[in-house]
Amino acid sequence: MDHKITAVIIEDEKNILGFIETVLSDGSYKTFTAATGTDGLSLITSRCPDIILLDLGLPDMDGLEIIKKVRQFTQTPVIVISARTQEAEKVAALDLGADDYLTKPFGTSELMARIRTALRHSQNSKEAACVYSRGGLVIDFGKRRTTLDGQEVHLTQIEYKLVSLLARQAGKVLTYDYLMRQIWGPYNDSNNQILRVNMAHIRRKLEKNPAEPEYIFTEIGVGYRMRDE
Amino acid sequence: MMIPFKTRRSHLSRQVLLRNFVITIICLMIATLLSTLFFLLSHNTANIAIIYVLAVVIIAQNTAGYGCGIVASLFSVAFINFVFTYPYMELNFILDGYPVTFLGMTIISSLSSTLTTHLKEEIQLSNEREHMLMEAEKEKMRANLLRAISHDLRTPLTSIIGTSTSYLEQGEHMDESQKTHLVKTIAEDAQWLLNMVENLLSVTRINNQTASVNTTLEPLEEVVSAALRRFYKRTPGAKVQARIPDELIMLPMDATLIEQVLINLLENAVYHSGSQTPTSLSVDTDNGFAHFHVRDYGSGISPDRLDTLFDGYPSTPNHSSDSHKGMGIGLSICKTIINAHHGQISAKNHPDGAEFIFSLPLGENTYGS
Repeated sequence: MDHKITAVIIEDEKNILGFIETVLSDGSYKTFTAATGTDGLSLITSRCPDIILLDLGLPDMDGLEIIKKVRQFTQTPVIVISARTQEAEKVAALDLGADDYLTKPFGTSELMARIRTALRHSQNSKEAACVYSRGGLVIDFGKRRTTLDGQEVHLTQIEYKLVSLLARQAGKVLTYDYLMRQIWGPYNDSNNQILRVNMAHIRRKLEKNPAEPEYIFTEIGVGYRMRDE
Repeated sequence: MMIPFKTRRSHLSRQVLLRNFVITIICLMIATLLSTLFFLLSHNTANIAIIYVLAVVIIAQNTAGYGCGIVASLFSVAFINFVFTYPYMELNFILDGYPVTFLGMTIISSLSSTLTTHLKEEIQLSNEREHMLMEAEKEKMRANLLRAISHDLRTPLTSIIGTSTSYLEQGEHMDESQKTHLVKTIAEDAQWLLNMVENLLSVTRINNQTASVNTTLEPLEEVVSAALRRFYKRTPGAKVQARIPDELIMLPMDATLIEQVLINLLENAVYHSGSQTPTSLSVDTDNGFAHFHVRDYGSGISPDRLDTLFDGYPSTPNHSSDSHKGMGIGLSICKTIINAHHGQISAKNHPDGAEFIFSLPLGENTYGS
Protein backbone atom coordinates (compact mmCIF):
# COMPACT_ATOMS: atom_id res chain seq x y z
CA MET A 1 0.00 0.00 0.00
CA ASP A 2 1.77 3.12 -1.14
CA HIS A 3 -0.77 5.75 -0.15
CA LYS A 4 -2.10 5.67 3.40
CA ILE A 5 -4.75 8.02 4.71
CA THR A 6 -3.24 10.33 7.31
CA ALA A 7 -5.19 11.15 10.42
CA VAL A 8 -4.32 13.61 13.17
CA ILE A 9 -5.79 12.73 16.54
CA ILE A 10 -5.91 15.43 19.21
CA GLU A 11 -6.92 14.00 22.56
CA ASP A 12 -5.50 14.46 26.04
CA GLU A 13 -6.88 11.25 27.54
CA LYS A 14 -4.08 8.69 27.06
CA ASN A 15 -6.27 5.58 27.18
CA ILE A 16 -8.64 6.88 24.56
CA LEU A 17 -5.82 8.14 22.37
CA GLY A 18 -4.22 4.70 22.53
CA PHE A 19 -7.47 2.97 21.70
CA ILE A 20 -8.21 5.13 18.67
CA GLU A 21 -4.63 4.77 17.46
CA THR A 22 -4.80 0.99 17.73
CA VAL A 23 -8.06 0.84 15.83
CA LEU A 24 -6.82 3.09 13.04
CA SER A 25 -3.39 1.54 12.59
CA ASP A 26 -5.03 -1.82 11.84
CA GLY A 27 -6.53 -0.38 8.72
CA SER A 28 -5.07 1.75 6.00
CA TYR A 29 -4.38 4.75 8.19
CA LYS A 30 -1.24 6.55 9.25
CA THR A 31 -1.79 8.36 12.54
CA PHE A 32 -0.19 11.36 14.24
CA THR A 33 -1.21 12.17 17.77
CA ALA A 34 -1.13 15.23 19.98
CA ALA A 35 -2.23 15.69 23.58
CA THR A 36 -2.57 19.48 23.50
CA GLY A 37 -4.22 21.96 21.19
CA THR A 38 -0.98 23.75 20.31
CA ASP A 39 0.78 20.52 19.33
CA GLY A 40 -2.32 19.47 17.42
CA LEU A 41 -2.46 22.68 15.39
CA SER A 42 1.21 22.44 14.45
CA LEU A 43 0.70 18.79 13.43
CA ILE A 44 -2.19 19.81 11.22
CA THR A 45 -0.18 22.53 9.49
CA SER A 46 2.91 20.36 9.04
CA ARG A 47 1.31 17.02 8.07
CA CYS A 48 -1.70 18.22 6.06
CA PRO A 49 -3.83 15.24 7.20
CA ASP A 50 -6.80 13.79 5.33
CA ILE A 51 -8.91 13.78 8.47
CA ILE A 52 -8.78 15.29 11.96
CA LEU A 53 -10.20 13.69 15.11
CA LEU A 54 -10.58 16.29 17.81
CA ASP A 55 -11.44 16.17 21.49
CA LEU A 56 -13.08 19.35 22.72
CA GLY A 57 -11.79 19.30 26.28
CA LEU A 58 -8.07 19.96 25.95
CA PRO A 59 -5.74 21.19 28.68
CA ASP A 60 -4.48 24.31 26.89
CA MET A 61 -7.39 25.51 24.76
CA ASP A 62 -11.00 24.83 23.87
CA GLY A 63 -11.45 22.47 20.94
CA LEU A 64 -13.89 24.94 19.39
CA GLU A 65 -10.95 27.36 18.99
CA ILE A 66 -9.09 24.72 17.01
CA ILE A 67 -12.03 24.17 14.66
CA LYS A 68 -12.17 27.92 14.03
CA LYS A 69 -8.44 28.12 13.30
CA VAL A 70 -8.39 25.02 11.10
CA ARG A 71 -11.33 26.25 9.05
CA GLN A 72 -9.40 29.42 8.24
CA PHE A 73 -6.97 27.54 6.04
CA THR A 74 -8.38 24.12 5.15
CA GLN A 75 -11.59 22.17 4.52
CA THR A 76 -10.09 18.94 5.88
CA PRO A 77 -12.90 17.01 7.54
CA VAL A 78 -12.99 17.37 11.33
CA ILE A 79 -14.76 14.83 13.53
CA VAL A 80 -15.33 16.05 17.04
CA ILE A 81 -15.05 13.51 19.83
CA SER A 82 -16.28 14.73 23.15
CA ALA A 83 -17.85 13.81 26.43
CA ARG A 84 -20.00 16.93 26.30
CA THR A 85 -23.53 15.78 25.65
CA GLN A 86 -25.47 19.05 25.62
CA GLU A 87 -27.04 19.73 22.24
CA ALA A 88 -25.90 23.34 22.35
CA GLU A 89 -22.26 22.20 22.32
CA LYS A 90 -22.78 19.84 19.42
CA VAL A 91 -24.52 22.58 17.51
CA ALA A 92 -21.71 25.05 18.25
CA ALA A 93 -19.06 22.63 16.98
CA LEU A 94 -21.04 21.77 13.85
CA ASP A 95 -21.84 25.38 13.09
CA LEU A 96 -18.19 26.33 13.41
CA GLY A 97 -17.39 23.88 10.65
CA ALA A 98 -16.94 20.45 12.21
CA ASP A 99 -18.15 17.68 9.91
CA ASP A 100 -19.42 15.25 12.48
CA TYR A 101 -19.81 14.70 16.18
CA LEU A 102 -19.21 11.57 18.25
CA THR A 103 -20.18 11.49 21.89
CA LYS A 104 -18.04 9.50 24.30
CA PRO A 105 -18.30 6.63 24.79
CA PHE A 106 -18.52 5.22 21.28
CA GLY A 107 -17.82 1.90 19.59
CA THR A 108 -14.98 1.24 17.15
CA SER A 109 -17.27 0.31 14.28
CA GLU A 110 -19.17 3.56 14.65
CA LEU A 111 -15.95 5.57 14.71
CA MET A 112 -14.69 3.87 11.55
CA ALA A 113 -18.00 4.40 9.77
CA ARG A 114 -18.02 8.10 10.65
CA ILE A 115 -14.45 8.48 9.41
CA ARG A 116 -15.27 6.77 6.10
CA THR A 117 -18.32 9.01 5.66
CA ALA A 118 -16.36 12.16 6.35
CA LEU A 119 -13.65 11.11 3.89
CA ARG A 120 -16.23 10.34 1.23
CA HIS A 121 -17.65 13.82 1.65
CA SER A 122 -14.37 15.52 1.10
CA GLN A 123 -14.09 13.43 -2.09
CA ASN A 124 -17.68 14.12 -3.13
CA SER A 125 -17.45 17.84 -2.71
CA LYS A 126 -14.61 17.81 -5.23
CA GLU A 127 -16.49 15.67 -7.72
CA ALA A 128 -20.02 17.03 -7.04
CA ALA A 129 -22.18 13.97 -7.52
CA CYS A 130 -25.26 14.63 -9.60
CA VAL A 131 -27.44 11.77 -8.39
CA TYR A 132 -28.24 10.60 -4.87
CA SER A 133 -29.33 6.99 -4.79
CA ARG A 134 -29.80 5.00 -1.60
CA GLY A 135 -32.26 2.16 -1.17
CA GLY A 136 -35.32 2.97 -3.25
CA LEU A 137 -34.79 6.72 -3.17
CA VAL A 138 -33.23 8.42 -6.17
CA ILE A 139 -32.71 12.16 -6.41
CA ASP A 140 -31.49 13.51 -9.75
CA PHE A 141 -30.09 16.95 -8.97
CA GLY A 142 -29.76 17.84 -12.67
CA LYS A 143 -33.38 17.12 -13.54
CA ARG A 144 -34.63 18.06 -10.05
CA ARG A 145 -36.50 14.80 -10.01
CA THR A 146 -37.16 12.61 -6.99
CA THR A 147 -38.34 9.03 -7.30
CA LEU A 148 -39.13 6.46 -4.62
CA ASP A 149 -39.13 2.80 -5.72
CA GLY A 150 -39.49 4.01 -9.31
CA GLN A 151 -42.53 6.19 -8.51
CA GLU A 152 -42.16 9.92 -8.94
CA VAL A 153 -42.50 11.88 -5.68
CA HIS A 154 -44.08 15.31 -5.87
CA LEU A 155 -42.21 17.70 -3.60
CA THR A 156 -42.92 21.40 -3.27
CA GLN A 157 -40.19 23.90 -4.07
CA ILE A 158 -39.10 24.21 -0.45
CA GLU A 159 -39.37 20.50 0.22
CA TYR A 160 -37.13 19.74 -2.76
CA LYS A 161 -34.61 22.34 -1.62
CA LEU A 162 -34.48 20.75 1.82
CA VAL A 163 -34.18 17.19 0.55
CA SER A 164 -31.48 18.03 -1.99
CA LEU A 165 -29.53 20.00 0.60
CA LEU A 166 -29.57 17.03 2.95
CA ALA A 167 -28.85 14.55 0.15
CA ARG A 168 -25.85 16.45 -1.20
CA GLN A 169 -24.27 16.15 2.22
CA ALA A 170 -25.69 12.75 3.06
CA GLY A 171 -24.40 11.31 6.31
CA LYS A 172 -23.58 14.71 7.71
CA VAL A 173 -25.70 16.30 10.40
CA LEU A 174 -27.11 19.60 9.18
CA THR A 175 -28.18 21.81 12.08
CA TYR A 176 -31.59 23.47 12.29
CA ASP A 177 -29.87 26.80 12.08
CA TYR A 178 -27.91 25.94 8.94
CA LEU A 179 -31.01 24.62 7.19
CA MET A 180 -33.07 27.67 8.17
CA ARG A 181 -30.41 30.00 6.81
CA GLN A 182 -30.00 28.05 3.56
CA ILE A 183 -33.71 27.84 2.77
CA TRP A 184 -35.32 30.88 4.38
CA GLY A 185 -32.38 33.27 4.34
CA PRO A 186 -30.34 34.84 7.11
CA TYR A 187 -33.10 37.09 8.42
CA ASN A 188 -35.61 34.45 9.52
CA ASP A 189 -36.55 34.42 13.19
CA SER A 190 -35.02 31.83 15.46
CA ASN A 191 -38.19 29.76 15.60
CA ASN A 192 -37.67 26.62 13.55
CA GLN A 193 -41.28 25.36 13.61
CA ILE A 194 -41.64 26.00 9.87
CA LEU A 195 -38.66 23.72 9.22
CA ARG A 196 -40.04 21.00 11.47
CA VAL A 197 -43.42 21.11 9.75
CA ASN A 198 -41.84 20.94 6.29
CA MET A 199 -39.72 17.99 7.37
CA ALA A 200 -42.86 16.26 8.63
CA HIS A 201 -44.47 16.72 5.19
CA ILE A 202 -41.37 15.37 3.45
CA ARG A 203 -41.35 12.39 5.79
CA ARG A 204 -44.91 11.58 4.84
CA LYS A 205 -43.93 11.58 1.16
CA LEU A 206 -40.69 9.59 1.48
CA GLU A 207 -41.04 7.28 4.46
CA LYS A 208 -43.30 4.24 4.78
CA ASN A 209 -43.43 4.55 8.58
CA PRO A 210 -42.51 7.99 9.95
CA ALA A 211 -41.72 6.34 13.31
CA GLU A 212 -39.00 4.24 11.68
CA PRO A 213 -37.63 6.37 8.83
CA GLU A 214 -35.30 4.86 6.24
CA TYR A 215 -33.87 8.00 4.67
CA ILE A 216 -33.98 11.08 6.88
CA PHE A 217 -32.99 10.74 10.53
CA THR A 218 -33.52 13.19 13.37
CA GLU A 219 -30.70 14.15 15.69
CA ILE A 220 -32.69 15.33 18.69
CA GLY A 221 -32.04 18.97 19.48
CA VAL A 222 -29.41 19.30 16.74
CA GLY A 223 -30.75 18.75 13.25
CA TYR A 224 -31.23 16.18 10.49
CA ARG A 225 -29.04 13.63 8.76
CA MET A 226 -29.70 11.89 5.48
CA ARG A 227 -28.96 8.20 5.05
CA ASP A 228 -25.58 7.46 3.57
CA GLU A 229 -24.88 3.78 3.03
CA MET B 1 -48.11 59.36 71.33
CA MET B 2 -47.24 56.13 69.59
CA ILE B 3 -43.54 56.51 68.98
CA PRO B 4 -42.29 55.87 72.51
CA PHE B 5 -44.19 52.63 72.58
CA LYS B 6 -41.84 49.70 72.39
CA THR B 7 -43.07 46.49 70.83
CA ARG B 8 -42.21 43.20 72.43
CA ARG B 9 -40.47 42.17 69.26
CA SER B 10 -37.46 44.32 69.66
CA HIS B 11 -36.06 43.06 66.38
CA LEU B 12 -38.64 44.99 64.37
CA SER B 13 -36.67 47.18 62.06
CA ARG B 14 -37.09 50.94 61.75
CA GLN B 15 -38.73 50.47 58.41
CA VAL B 16 -41.38 48.15 59.82
CA LEU B 17 -41.98 50.51 62.74
CA LEU B 18 -42.45 53.41 60.39
CA ARG B 19 -44.84 51.38 58.27
CA ASN B 20 -46.84 50.39 61.37
CA PHE B 21 -46.99 53.98 62.43
CA VAL B 22 -48.19 55.22 59.06
CA ILE B 23 -50.86 52.53 58.76
CA THR B 24 -52.14 53.24 62.27
CA ILE B 25 -52.36 56.98 61.69
CA ILE B 26 -54.12 56.60 58.35
CA CYS B 27 -56.69 54.12 59.68
CA LEU B 28 -57.45 56.27 62.72
CA MET B 29 -57.76 59.34 60.54
CA ILE B 30 -60.23 57.64 58.22
CA ALA B 31 -62.19 56.35 61.22
CA THR B 32 -62.28 59.84 62.73
CA LEU B 33 -63.42 61.34 59.46
CA LEU B 34 -66.26 58.82 59.11
CA SER B 35 -67.23 59.25 62.76
CA THR B 36 -67.38 62.99 62.40
CA LEU B 37 -69.71 62.59 59.43
CA PHE B 38 -71.90 60.17 61.38
CA PHE B 39 -71.85 62.39 64.44
CA LEU B 40 -72.90 65.45 62.50
CA LEU B 41 -75.67 63.54 60.74
CA SER B 42 -77.11 61.38 63.53
CA HIS B 43 -75.48 62.00 66.91
CA ASN B 44 -75.34 58.23 67.35
CA THR B 45 -72.25 57.28 69.40
CA ALA B 46 -72.84 53.51 69.18
CA ASN B 47 -72.03 53.51 65.46
CA ILE B 48 -68.96 55.60 66.10
CA ALA B 49 -67.63 53.04 68.55
CA ILE B 50 -68.16 50.32 65.95
CA ILE B 51 -66.27 52.32 63.32
CA TYR B 52 -63.31 52.62 65.67
CA VAL B 53 -63.40 48.91 66.52
CA LEU B 54 -63.29 48.18 62.80
CA ALA B 55 -60.33 50.54 62.41
CA VAL B 56 -58.52 48.80 65.28
CA VAL B 57 -59.09 45.35 63.72
CA ILE B 58 -57.76 46.57 60.38
CA ILE B 59 -54.72 48.07 62.08
CA ALA B 60 -54.03 44.85 63.99
CA GLN B 61 -54.28 42.89 60.77
CA ASN B 62 -51.92 45.05 58.80
CA THR B 63 -49.18 45.83 61.30
CA ALA B 64 -46.54 43.63 62.85
CA GLY B 65 -46.79 42.82 66.56
CA TYR B 66 -49.54 43.54 69.13
CA GLY B 67 -48.45 47.05 69.91
CA CYS B 68 -50.20 49.14 67.30
CA GLY B 69 -53.58 47.45 67.77
CA ILE B 70 -53.60 47.92 71.54
CA VAL B 71 -52.34 51.46 71.40
CA ALA B 72 -54.89 52.30 68.73
CA SER B 73 -57.72 50.83 70.79
CA LEU B 74 -56.74 52.77 73.93
CA PHE B 75 -56.40 55.89 71.87
CA SER B 76 -59.80 55.35 70.25
CA VAL B 77 -61.56 54.93 73.58
CA ALA B 78 -60.00 58.09 74.96
CA PHE B 79 -60.59 59.99 71.73
CA ILE B 80 -64.29 59.06 71.51
CA ASN B 81 -64.74 60.10 75.11
CA PHE B 82 -62.93 63.32 74.43
CA VAL B 83 -64.60 64.33 71.20
CA PHE B 84 -67.87 62.52 70.61
CA THR B 85 -69.48 62.22 74.07
CA TYR B 86 -70.97 64.88 76.22
CA PRO B 87 -69.26 66.94 77.62
CA TYR B 88 -67.49 67.52 74.30
CA MET B 89 -63.77 68.25 74.25
CA GLU B 90 -63.38 66.92 77.78
CA LEU B 91 -62.37 63.57 79.23
CA ASN B 92 -65.13 62.20 81.45
CA PHE B 93 -65.20 58.48 82.27
CA ILE B 94 -67.91 58.49 84.92
CA LEU B 95 -70.78 59.55 82.70
CA ASP B 96 -73.90 57.44 83.21
CA GLY B 97 -73.67 54.13 81.31
CA TYR B 98 -70.59 55.19 79.39
CA PRO B 99 -67.97 53.50 81.57
CA VAL B 100 -69.41 50.09 80.55
CA THR B 101 -69.38 51.05 76.88
CA PHE B 102 -65.80 52.23 77.09
CA LEU B 103 -64.63 49.27 79.10
CA GLY B 104 -66.37 46.94 76.64
CA MET B 105 -64.84 48.70 73.71
CA THR B 106 -61.37 48.65 75.19
CA ILE B 107 -61.60 44.93 75.85
CA ILE B 108 -63.14 44.09 72.45
CA SER B 109 -60.63 46.07 70.47
CA SER B 110 -57.66 44.84 72.50
CA LEU B 111 -58.89 41.24 72.21
CA SER B 112 -59.49 41.43 68.48
CA SER B 113 -56.13 43.06 67.96
CA THR B 114 -54.34 40.29 69.88
CA LEU B 115 -56.45 37.67 68.08
CA THR B 116 -55.61 38.86 64.59
CA THR B 117 -51.95 39.12 65.56
CA HIS B 118 -52.05 35.56 66.86
CA LEU B 119 -53.72 34.40 63.69
CA LYS B 120 -51.03 36.05 61.61
CA GLU B 121 -48.32 34.36 63.62
CA GLU B 122 -50.10 31.01 63.34
CA ILE B 123 -50.26 31.33 59.56
CA GLN B 124 -46.62 32.24 59.35
CA LEU B 125 -45.68 29.33 61.59
CA SER B 126 -47.69 26.83 59.57
CA ASN B 127 -46.12 28.17 56.38
CA GLU B 128 -42.69 27.62 57.85
CA ARG B 129 -43.65 24.15 58.99
CA GLU B 130 -44.91 23.27 55.52
CA HIS B 131 -41.69 24.51 54.00
CA MET B 132 -39.66 22.41 56.43
CA LEU B 133 -41.77 19.36 55.62
CA MET B 134 -41.19 19.89 51.92
CA GLU B 135 -37.47 20.21 52.49
CA ALA B 136 -37.47 17.01 54.52
CA GLU B 137 -39.40 15.23 51.78
CA LYS B 138 -36.90 16.43 49.18
CA GLU B 139 -34.04 15.30 51.39
CA LYS B 140 -35.64 11.89 51.74
CA MET B 141 -36.07 11.58 47.98
CA ARG B 142 -32.48 12.54 47.43
CA ALA B 143 -31.30 9.97 49.95
CA ASN B 144 -33.43 7.28 48.34
CA LEU B 145 -32.12 8.16 44.92
CA LEU B 146 -28.54 8.04 46.12
CA ARG B 147 -29.13 4.68 47.74
CA ALA B 148 -30.68 3.34 44.57
CA ILE B 149 -27.84 4.72 42.47
CA SER B 150 -25.08 3.28 44.58
CA HIS B 151 -26.78 -0.10 44.59
CA ASP B 152 -27.25 0.00 40.85
CA LEU B 153 -23.70 1.15 40.21
CA ARG B 154 -22.14 -1.40 42.49
CA THR B 155 -23.72 -4.40 40.83
CA PRO B 156 -22.24 -3.98 37.33
CA LEU B 157 -18.97 -2.67 38.77
CA THR B 158 -18.58 -5.77 40.91
CA SER B 159 -19.15 -7.89 37.87
CA ILE B 160 -16.68 -5.90 35.74
CA ILE B 161 -13.96 -6.04 38.39
CA GLY B 162 -14.55 -9.71 39.09
CA THR B 163 -14.62 -10.75 35.46
CA SER B 164 -11.61 -8.73 34.38
CA THR B 165 -9.59 -9.95 37.38
CA SER B 166 -10.36 -13.57 36.63
CA TYR B 167 -9.43 -12.96 32.98
CA LEU B 168 -6.08 -11.41 33.98
CA GLU B 169 -5.27 -14.06 36.58
CA GLN B 170 -6.49 -17.21 34.89
CA GLY B 171 -6.52 -16.15 31.26
CA GLU B 172 -3.84 -18.61 30.18
CA HIS B 173 -5.88 -21.60 31.35
CA MET B 174 -8.96 -20.59 29.40
CA ASP B 175 -9.98 -21.41 25.87
CA GLU B 176 -11.07 -18.80 23.34
CA SER B 177 -14.81 -19.18 23.90
CA GLN B 178 -14.45 -18.75 27.65
CA LYS B 179 -12.39 -15.61 27.12
CA THR B 180 -14.91 -14.22 24.67
CA HIS B 181 -17.64 -14.93 27.15
CA LEU B 182 -15.83 -13.01 29.89
CA VAL B 183 -15.10 -10.00 27.70
CA LYS B 184 -18.70 -10.01 26.52
CA THR B 185 -19.87 -9.83 30.13
CA ILE B 186 -17.59 -6.86 30.74
CA ALA B 187 -18.90 -5.11 27.63
CA GLU B 188 -22.52 -5.69 28.67
CA ASP B 189 -21.96 -4.33 32.15
CA ALA B 190 -20.12 -1.30 30.84
CA GLN B 191 -23.05 -0.65 28.52
CA TRP B 192 -25.37 -0.90 31.49
CA LEU B 193 -23.27 1.61 33.42
CA LEU B 194 -23.39 3.96 30.47
CA ASN B 195 -27.19 3.78 30.42
CA MET B 196 -27.25 4.64 34.06
CA VAL B 197 -24.95 7.61 33.67
CA GLU B 198 -27.08 8.91 30.81
CA ASN B 199 -30.16 8.60 32.97
CA LEU B 200 -28.51 10.53 35.76
CA LEU B 201 -27.31 13.19 33.35
CA SER B 202 -30.81 13.62 32.05
CA VAL B 203 -32.04 14.47 35.54
CA THR B 204 -29.74 17.47 35.62
CA ARG B 205 -31.81 18.98 32.80
CA ILE B 206 -34.75 19.30 35.16
CA ASN B 207 -34.85 22.55 37.08
CA ASN B 208 -34.20 21.79 40.72
CA GLN B 209 -36.32 24.54 42.22
CA THR B 210 -39.43 24.31 40.13
CA ALA B 211 -39.12 20.70 38.95
CA SER B 212 -39.91 21.88 35.44
CA VAL B 213 -38.24 21.57 32.06
CA ASN B 214 -37.67 23.81 29.05
CA THR B 215 -40.15 22.64 26.48
CA THR B 216 -40.33 23.33 22.78
CA LEU B 217 -42.88 22.03 20.31
CA GLU B 218 -41.44 18.85 18.83
CA PRO B 219 -42.96 16.55 16.23
CA LEU B 220 -43.93 13.31 17.92
CA GLU B 221 -42.54 11.18 15.09
CA GLU B 222 -39.06 12.67 15.38
CA VAL B 223 -38.76 11.82 19.05
CA VAL B 224 -40.10 8.32 18.55
CA SER B 225 -37.83 7.62 15.59
CA ALA B 226 -34.74 9.04 17.30
CA ALA B 227 -35.44 6.96 20.41
CA LEU B 228 -35.93 3.83 18.32
CA ARG B 229 -32.71 4.39 16.41
CA ARG B 230 -30.66 4.81 19.56
CA PHE B 231 -32.37 1.83 21.12
CA TYR B 232 -31.60 -0.43 18.13
CA LYS B 233 -28.00 0.69 18.10
CA ARG B 234 -27.60 -0.27 21.74
CA THR B 235 -29.64 -3.41 21.76
CA PRO B 236 -28.83 -5.18 18.53
CA GLY B 237 -31.37 -7.81 17.60
CA ALA B 238 -34.21 -6.26 19.59
CA LYS B 239 -37.49 -5.94 17.76
CA VAL B 240 -40.07 -3.20 18.22
CA GLN B 241 -43.31 -2.62 16.36
CA ALA B 242 -43.93 1.11 16.30
CA ARG B 243 -47.28 2.62 15.42
CA ILE B 244 -47.99 6.34 15.60
CA PRO B 245 -50.90 8.43 14.28
CA ASP B 246 -50.72 9.53 10.65
CA GLU B 247 -51.32 13.20 11.31
CA LEU B 248 -48.52 15.47 12.45
CA ILE B 249 -48.63 15.90 16.21
CA MET B 250 -46.51 18.54 17.91
CA LEU B 251 -45.93 18.12 21.63
CA PRO B 252 -44.34 20.63 23.99
CA MET B 253 -41.44 18.74 25.57
CA ASP B 254 -37.76 18.46 26.24
CA ALA B 255 -37.13 15.96 23.47
CA THR B 256 -33.90 14.60 24.94
CA LEU B 257 -35.70 13.68 28.13
CA ILE B 258 -38.68 12.04 26.44
CA GLU B 259 -36.26 10.12 24.23
CA GLN B 260 -34.63 8.88 27.42
CA VAL B 261 -37.99 7.79 28.84
CA LEU B 262 -38.82 5.86 25.68
CA ILE B 263 -35.42 4.15 25.65
CA ASN B 264 -35.75 3.23 29.34
CA LEU B 265 -39.18 1.72 28.82
CA LEU B 266 -38.14 -0.18 25.69
CA GLU B 267 -35.03 -1.53 27.38
CA ASN B 268 -37.07 -2.51 30.37
CA ALA B 269 -39.48 -4.39 28.15
CA VAL B 270 -36.69 -6.25 26.36
CA TYR B 271 -34.69 -7.17 29.46
CA HIS B 272 -37.53 -8.09 31.76
CA SER B 273 -40.20 -9.64 29.61
CA GLY B 274 -38.11 -12.71 28.76
CA SER B 275 -39.95 -13.08 25.48
CA GLN B 276 -39.08 -13.10 21.80
CA THR B 277 -42.29 -11.46 20.64
CA PRO B 278 -41.55 -7.91 19.44
CA THR B 279 -42.31 -5.15 21.92
CA SER B 280 -45.01 -2.80 20.70
CA LEU B 281 -44.77 0.96 20.92
CA SER B 282 -47.88 2.88 20.01
CA VAL B 283 -49.16 6.40 20.46
CA ASP B 284 -52.71 7.73 20.39
CA THR B 285 -54.32 10.99 21.36
CA ASP B 286 -57.51 11.99 23.15
CA ASN B 287 -58.77 14.70 25.52
CA GLY B 288 -55.77 16.93 24.95
CA PHE B 289 -53.23 14.24 25.82
CA ALA B 290 -50.93 12.02 23.81
CA HIS B 291 -50.70 8.53 25.28
CA PHE B 292 -47.60 6.44 24.71
CA HIS B 293 -47.97 2.68 25.21
CA VAL B 294 -45.02 0.33 25.55
CA ARG B 295 -46.31 -3.24 25.62
CA ASP B 296 -44.28 -6.37 26.03
CA TYR B 297 -45.48 -9.93 25.67
CA GLY B 298 -43.64 -11.62 28.50
CA SER B 299 -44.07 -12.62 32.08
CA GLY B 300 -45.67 -9.40 33.31
CA ILE B 301 -44.98 -7.56 36.56
CA SER B 302 -45.57 -9.29 39.87
CA PRO B 303 -48.55 -7.61 41.56
CA ASP B 304 -46.70 -6.74 44.78
CA ARG B 305 -44.23 -4.64 42.81
CA LEU B 306 -46.76 -2.65 40.80
CA ASP B 307 -47.23 -0.07 43.56
CA THR B 308 -43.59 0.72 44.15
CA LEU B 309 -42.36 0.26 40.60
CA PHE B 310 -41.58 3.93 40.07
CA ASP B 311 -40.10 4.63 43.50
CA GLY B 312 -36.54 3.90 42.51
CA TYR B 313 -35.84 1.11 44.96
CA PRO B 314 -37.10 -2.41 45.43
CA SER B 315 -40.18 -2.79 47.62
CA THR B 316 -38.52 -5.29 49.92
CA PRO B 317 -34.80 -5.43 50.63
CA ASN B 318 -34.67 -9.10 49.61
CA HIS B 319 -35.66 -8.19 46.09
CA SER B 320 -32.72 -5.92 45.62
CA SER B 321 -30.14 -8.54 44.81
CA ASP B 322 -32.41 -10.78 42.81
CA SER B 323 -31.23 -9.93 39.37
CA HIS B 324 -28.17 -8.40 37.94
CA LYS B 325 -30.16 -5.79 36.07
CA GLY B 326 -32.80 -4.56 38.45
CA MET B 327 -35.37 -2.11 37.18
CA GLY B 328 -33.11 0.25 39.03
CA ILE B 329 -33.46 3.97 38.90
CA GLY B 330 -34.54 3.98 35.25
CA LEU B 331 -38.24 3.95 36.05
CA SER B 332 -38.03 6.48 38.84
CA ILE B 333 -36.24 8.79 36.45
CA CYS B 334 -38.99 8.22 33.89
CA LYS B 335 -41.50 9.29 36.51
CA THR B 336 -39.50 12.38 37.43
CA ILE B 337 -39.26 13.37 33.78
CA ILE B 338 -42.95 12.79 33.03
CA ASN B 339 -44.01 14.68 36.16
CA ALA B 340 -41.85 17.60 35.13
CA HIS B 341 -43.80 17.63 31.84
CA HIS B 342 -47.11 17.66 33.77
CA GLY B 343 -47.87 14.22 32.45
CA GLN B 344 -48.63 10.85 33.98
CA ILE B 345 -46.97 7.46 33.92
CA SER B 346 -48.34 4.12 35.02
CA ALA B 347 -47.81 0.42 34.63
CA LYS B 348 -50.22 -2.47 34.44
CA ASN B 349 -50.46 -6.07 33.37
CA HIS B 350 -52.44 -7.17 30.36
CA PRO B 351 -53.28 -10.83 29.57
CA ASP B 352 -50.02 -11.41 27.66
CA GLY B 353 -47.49 -9.31 29.56
CA ALA B 354 -46.84 -5.86 30.94
CA GLU B 355 -47.74 -2.42 29.63
CA PHE B 356 -46.30 0.96 30.52
CA ILE B 357 -48.31 4.02 29.62
CA PHE B 358 -47.32 7.63 29.83
CA SER B 359 -49.31 10.67 28.78
CA LEU B 360 -48.15 14.12 27.82
CA PRO B 361 -50.38 17.16 27.41
CA LEU B 362 -50.77 18.30 23.80
CA GLY B 363 -49.60 21.79 22.91
CA GLU B 364 -52.05 24.53 22.10
CA ASN B 365 -51.25 24.70 18.43
CA THR B 366 -51.17 21.25 16.95
CA TYR B 367 -50.74 21.42 13.22
CA GLY B 368 -52.95 19.32 11.01
CA SER B 369 -51.04 17.76 8.17
